[in-house]
Amino acid sequence: MANERLRALEEVEKEIAMILQCAGSIMSELSKDKPNASQLDRQLLQFQTSVNRVESELSSQIRYLTQVATGQPHEGSTYSARKDCQMALNRAEYAKIKLGELGRTCEVMLEQQQQQQQQQQQQQQS
Amino acid sequence: MATQRVLPQSKETLLQNYNKRLKDDIKSILDNFTEIIKTAKIEEETQVSRPTQAEQDHYEMHVRAANIVRAGESLMKLVSDLKQFLILNDFPSVNDAISLQNQQLRSLQDECDKKLTSLRDEIAIDLYELEEEYYSSSYSLWDNSDVPLCEAYRRSDSWTSPDSSCSSPSEDREDTEGPVAQRQTLNTNSMDTASPQLTNLDKLYVL
Repeated sequence: MANERLRALEEVEKEIAMILQCAGSIMSELSKDKPNASQLDRQLLQFQTSVNRVESELSSQIRYLTQVATGQPHEGSTYSARKDCQMALNRAEYAKIKLGELGRTCEVMLEQQQQQQQQQQQQQQS
Repeated sequence: MATQRVLPQSKETLLQNYNKRLKDDIKSILDNFTEIIKTAKIEEETQVSRPTQAEQDHYEMHVRAANIVRAGESLMKLVSDLKQFLILNDFPSVNDAISLQNQQLRSLQDECDKKLTSLRDEIAIDLYELEEEYYSSSYSLWDNSDVPLCEAYRRSDSWTSPDSSCSSPSEDREDTEGPVAQRQTLNTNSMDTASPQLTNLDKLYVL
């Protein structure tokens, strides 16, 4: 049930972390005695693309929200469907309990019958 | 109406605030980063001695790095606020989520009720046969006022008038089962030796 927009915002959070990590790695690369120029360029490119991507994504989300948001609170709920479903499950549970009782009663009767038959057989033998 | 006009304004200001925060944070990150790189350049000694200049540069870089981290934190907070705003106010997605959940709950309820109904039908069939067996044997203790399922059925068959006192749910059974039940009753009664009370009922059934 997760929204596409919420997933996009999760991605944006990861991008922000990536920005800071890139900046840190660039600094550490520059502080070396012999900085690797190609790696510096690569990291810098990644930093720039991440920053641009974060900015464009967040501004598009804010634009969407300016179009969609109203002042009214949302008043929909799933309460009625949930209550009906709960009642149906209660009905099924009740039927299960009743059938269980019926089954136990039948078993008790069968045991009594078997005991009576055994007693009759013993009487016939003696 | 005045309150309704006020609320959209606060939403507008809120969204403008989000925009401003976004722009400020991105600008802060980029500016501080470029300034650090500029400060890393080693220059000629001017008025200040080299160690002092080094110390000053070190402190400046420290502060700018802290600024970058603060701007990153502020961006994360902005993303979290946007998520919250979306969940509360994005009506299309909220409506979709509600309708999906309603649909799932209703289908579960329908499945449950369908299974219970089929169970009820099976048990009704078994109950009919069991009652027939029980009430036509010598062990039953019923009187004419209490009408069981099979008896009500037979009465309607023999008198050709619907018996409204029967409260069973399966009054619409087919008529061919009636004579079979009659014959079964006669057989069990003939096999039964110690039941004088049933001879009167025999005469009823023969009708």
